Amino acid sequence: MIFIDTLLLGISSGAIYSLMALALVLVWRSTRIVNFAQASQAVLSTYIGYEITMRSHNYWVSLPLAILFGAILGSLIDFLFMRYLAKRAKSGPIAEIAPVIATLGLLGLLQSIIGLIWGNSFLQYPTPLSGKGFTFGSHTIPFSPQNLFIVLATAIVLLVFGGIFRFTDLGLALRAASFQPEIAQLAGIRVARIRNIGWAFAGAAGAVAGAVITPTSVLSPNSLDLLLVSGFIAAVMGGLDSLVGAVIGGLVLGVGFSFILQYVGSSVTFLAGFFILVIVLLIRPRGFFGHQVGRHA
Amino acid sequence: MRKRRFTSLQRGGLLLILGILLLVTSNFVDELRSYQGAQVAVYLVAISSIILLTGYSGQISLGHGAIMAIGSYAAALAFSLWNISFEFAILFGMVVGTIAGFILGVAAARLSGPYLAGTTLALAVGLPTIADQFKVLGGEQGLNFDIGDAPGWIKRFEGSDFTQYRWFFWLMTLVALGVVWAITNLLQSSFGRNWRAVSNNPVAASLAGINVARAKVLAFTVSSALASLAGALFGILLGIVTPSAFPLTLSFTILTGAVLAGVGNLAGSIVGAVVLVAIPEFSGALSTHLGNSQKVTANLPGLVTSLLLIFVVLFRPEGLWPKKVWKRSRQLNN
Repeated sequence: MIFIDTLLLGISSGAIYSLMALALVLVWRSTRIVNFAQASQAVLSTYIGYEITMRSHNYWVSLPLAILFGAILGSLIDFLFMRYLAKRAKSGPIAEIAPVIATLGLLGLLQSIIGLIWGNSFLQYPTPLSGKGFTFGSHTIPFSPQNLFIVLATAIVLLVFGGIFRFTDLGLALRAASFQPEIAQLAGIRVARIRNIGWAFAGAAGAVAGAVITPTSVLSPNSLDLLLVSGFIAAVMGGLDSLVGAVIGGLVLGVGFSFILQYVGSSVTFLAGFFILVIVLLIRPRGFFGHQVGRHA
Repeated sequence: MRKRRFTSLQRGGLLLILGILLLVTSNFVDELRSYQGAQVAVYLVAISSIILLTGYSGQISLGHGAIMAIGSYAAALAFSLWNISFEFAILFGMVVGTIAGFILGVAAARLSGPYLAGTTLALAVGLPTIADQFKVLGGEQGLNFDIGDAPGWIKRFEGSDFTQYRWFFWLMTLVALGVVWAITNLLQSSFGRNWRAVSNNPVAASLAGINVARAKVLAFTVSSALASLAGALFGILLGIVTPSAFPLTLSFTILTGAVLAGVGNLAGSIVGAVVLVAIPEFSGALSTHLGNSQKVTANLPGLVTSLLLIFVVLFRPEGLWPKKVWKRSRQLNN
């Protein structure tokens, strides 16, 4: 019984890792940047959702608005900042690390702005769904309606993104712009605009992750930092440029963490994550679903 | 073509004079300034470890806070558990940190850019949790690392009002200046030239007969030795080594210091270190001015740091205090 409970919880947290990994992969594919600011973008969107819930008393109103805000924020960050960064800081020793530094700077900036507005104390993001586990006969499993909602929301996001990428012109343009930007440009695709849409999608995916996971824990400016690390590990497992890989990587990592938590102890989970990451990078650098050799940017 | 270089001995002499001047100055400042001076010295060592790694060998680390923690814990363990004198405890911390850095460096040499950044980030997140796992590491209470007052001969020389913080200032300033001297020499040796070659153009470097992987591992190892030294000094300065002394933000802080210094500019590391210490001071004064609300006090330092970081990346990639020859040498490279 414990085995199945652990598995179910792992799938629920793995779904969240998948969303975060997806957000990182979407930005990585189009800009070759690992967006460390993603955690703060997601958490800011969640704060917006929290604020709307507090005023409207309705989670279902806040959720789509938080996602919309996440998309706009992602697009703005690209438009105001990242596009500019690509033109500057091109030479010298800082050129290679400039994207990492810049996104870390953004991470700190957004988190301190959140702290200035809402303070650093823990907030409770209410949800209409019960956090109590389903009961079968006499056995209550730790998997609650909220967990089920997390898994469903992730599945919906994945289906929508998958559909867009596979069946629409926009998806084709997104794929072309990330695969061969110059040739895509020659073929008439407005690469800069398409890239901006990629940032918006990533922001939306992060916002979904923040808005569905936060009701199960607490909301603070740093509350999604660990999710960023898990999302990164999941994305690398999947190859960093594969959407399917990100999802599967997230689920595998979630289930793996859940079992480590259950059978080994909570304090080694993240160290285990580090070792998983190193081992994946050393034995299979392009990840399990990636298209090109990774490790080297 | 190049500006005149000092010989190693001349640089050593200059640093020694600077050191004596600083130590004399310490007699005229109060306790807080002594403490902050010691803090600058610790940051200086930590920042130069990043500059050596990133500026000269082209690798990035978001996990140097974790390596500092390793050095600090090893030193504190040797000091408090085995009653080794603090000099040897620091040395032991450095040895352990160097070994850890070597192991990490072997993995790191195969990674680059964001992959390396993410991997070291995962280390920085994962490592501090170990402290709770083993009883010997003291959990949240941490380990005692109080090395006490200055040794007797300094007290006899300087008088009995020689306070502990002034003693820390002396100790750490001398160590930091020694580190700067050692790194400048190292960077001008064949090791330094190899590192620069590897970071500028790995393919050309390997064609010229440089073992790229070995050079990268070596850079990571040396950098870790310095980071663990900084960690051990940091532990002494705090008097106690706890997991909360090495949060994720510490890694970001020293990286920020290196970026503000200009990642390829060792001389700038002093600017980076001073700015890192000045930011809390400055934002403290500013938040008092703004009415001292709790939200402002807690978040202003982070805001200032992030804004500085973004400003430097966008507008001053050569650091806050640019090396004058920078532009010229860049043209030469192209």
